[in-house]
Amino acid sequence: MTDLIREISQTVGRNKLRMALTGFAVAWGVFMLIVLLGIAQGVVNEFEDKMLGRDNYLLTIWGGQTEKVWKGLKEGRTITLEEKDLGDIGRNGSVPARAVSASIGNDTVVFSANNMTLTGGYYGASPESMYYDDINMSAGRFINNRDMQQRRRAIVIESDDARRIFGSDSAAVGKIMTGMGLAWTVTGVYAHRWRSTVYVPYSTAAALAANADEVESIDVELGGVSTKVEGREAEQAVRETLAQNHSFDPEDKNAIWVWNRFLNNLEAVEVLNILVMTMWIIGILTLLSGIVGVSNIMFVSVRERKHEIGIRRAIGARPRSILTQVVWESVAITILFGYIGIVAGTIVNGIISTMTKGMDIMRDPGVTLSTALQVTVVLVAAGAIAGLFPAIKATKVRPVEALRDE
Amino acid sequence: MRLKGIMLELKDINKTYQGAVPLHVLRDVSLTIERGELVSIMGASGSGKSTLLNILGILDSYDSGEYRLDGTLVKNLTENEAADLRNRKIGFVFQSFNLISYKDALENVALPLFYQGVPRKRRNMLAMEQLEKMGLADRAHHLPGELSGGQKQRVAIARALITRPALILADEPTGALDSRTSKEVMELLRRLNSEEGMTTVIVTHDPGVGAQTNRIIRIADGHIVSK
Repeated sequence: MTDLIREISQTVGRNKLRMALTGFAVAWGVFMLIVLLGIAQGVVNEFEDKMLGRDNYLLTIWGGQTEKVWKGLKEGRTITLEEKDLGDIGRNGSVPARAVSASIGNDTVVFSANNMTLTGGYYGASPESMYYDDINMSAGRFINNRDMQQRRRAIVIESDDARRIFGSDSAAVGKIMTGMGLAWTVTGVYAHRWRSTVYVPYSTAAALAANADEVESIDVELGGVSTKVEGREAEQAVRETLAQNHSFDPEDKNAIWVWNRFLNNLEAVEVLNILVMTMWIIGILTLLSGIVGVSNIMFVSVRERKHEIGIRRAIGARPRSILTQVVWESVAITILFGYIGIVAGTIVNGIISTMTKGMDIMRDPGVTLSTALQVTVVLVAAGAIAGLFPAIKATKVRPVEALRDE
Repeated sequence: MRLKGIMLELKDINKTYQGAVPLHVLRDVSLTIERGELVSIMGASGSGKSTLLNILGILDSYDSGEYRLDGTLVKNLTENEAADLRNRKIGFVFQSFNLISYKDALENVALPLFYQGVPRKRRNMLAMEQLEKMGLADRAHHLPGELSGGQKQRVAIARALITRPALILADEPTGALDSRTSKEVMELLRRLNSEEGMTTVIVTHDPGVGAQTNRIIRIADGHIVSK
């Protein structure tokens, strides 16, 4: 090991400018690779944070308007989802549903307190919504079963709103707000990166709805699905159930609207994988010019040390030990300059991270430990490949070279 | 003291360098060297002397004939077999010392043991012993560039001896030294021969060096002219 380090420092020291230029090319390639992968990671992080919650197995269905004629019925009929549909979807064996729930919303209601208002309406939620919407309570509690049974006028609001109206999260709990001419009690406050929905018990919302049987949307939580095909089949099965209930063409994409988050997420993950792969390819191609440089410098080094290699061969070095020595030197040089690139790239990723803080395009760009390990593997492999051909040439040096005077 | 007997034996060795005009450099060379001998091989440049040295040192192959070294037939060897034989059987002493410039004296002496896979600690200990024998213990951590010509050649001799070879093969060992240092190096080689029975073959064109050996083998035009 010490011998190796000594010999590498000798090789590096022999032509400092040449080595610096070659090293720069390697460091630059790795730097680009790290920055590109860092940016890709930032985009992935942002996506995962925003999109990939616990709701990524959710199908959400809204009523729409038919645009196809079906069994003598005209197009342009409005389809309204009903309570009955929930049970039918749940009973349909070809829908891999883990849970089916409905939601009733109202987006015109305004809640007020302390002369301040909350616009944006409310959403009728079940206790499970907390799980689906990935909500963390910062004060009080979420809607519970008693709220549901007793159709309480309980509301759960978001932290920023609570602070604006009541001063703090905990101060809001237990306070009364008015909405639709009724008094509502704030039972809890939640924090979420981007949600600001006002939640009320589903049963209360249903009671307040114009038609008690109507639901605004239906959530189907899929279970046991993992492929895009399964996701598509699940959606089709839901469409067919509803088509039968409401007499429309199952192929009529406008009769109902389906937000297939499971499928969307799979597709988005595919796009992200392509993005990351593209970054790898661009980065590695940039690194390639550096690797060619290392290979070149190793060829020069082998030529310059022909006499020395001859001496080593004469005193008993097997060709293989000459081969491994040159390959290791190449790997060491590549890793040395590669790590300069990794450090520089990490610093730049840090700068990008600070600059994009609060922006919606990326979050915490930078490389993860596993990416750093992958880059290291790439460096070792690249160094070994760069060194291989010069090393093979070195093994061709004949021991008679030792007798030739320099 | 080593047992008496034949150390190396050449039988009808032929070597031709292929080229535009093939060059038949060694013609039916036969030669026997006993254990414990101190022999010089002398010849003018172009006599085939260097080729003979290459074959004796297993640095090059030959076309026909037989070469036995310490009982082993040296023929049609793979690169690895040749490397291992050189490592264990032959200690080389070169005209231009051939020390590795960025390794200190101790590391240079220890290098042959590195290729035998001897652990670092042990090979450094053995190398130090050899340097002590050469009176160079205080120069162990000097680079070759910091040593005089005579010191360099003594380091090279220590390196040749460290594997306890069957044969010391010296190629113009005094060629790069002044007359006083030449004498010292020759005395050292003679002492190794007389005191430790080290079989030594010196290839030279210098009659002064030849005169200090016990037998002179002369080569001219690829033939042995006198044994």
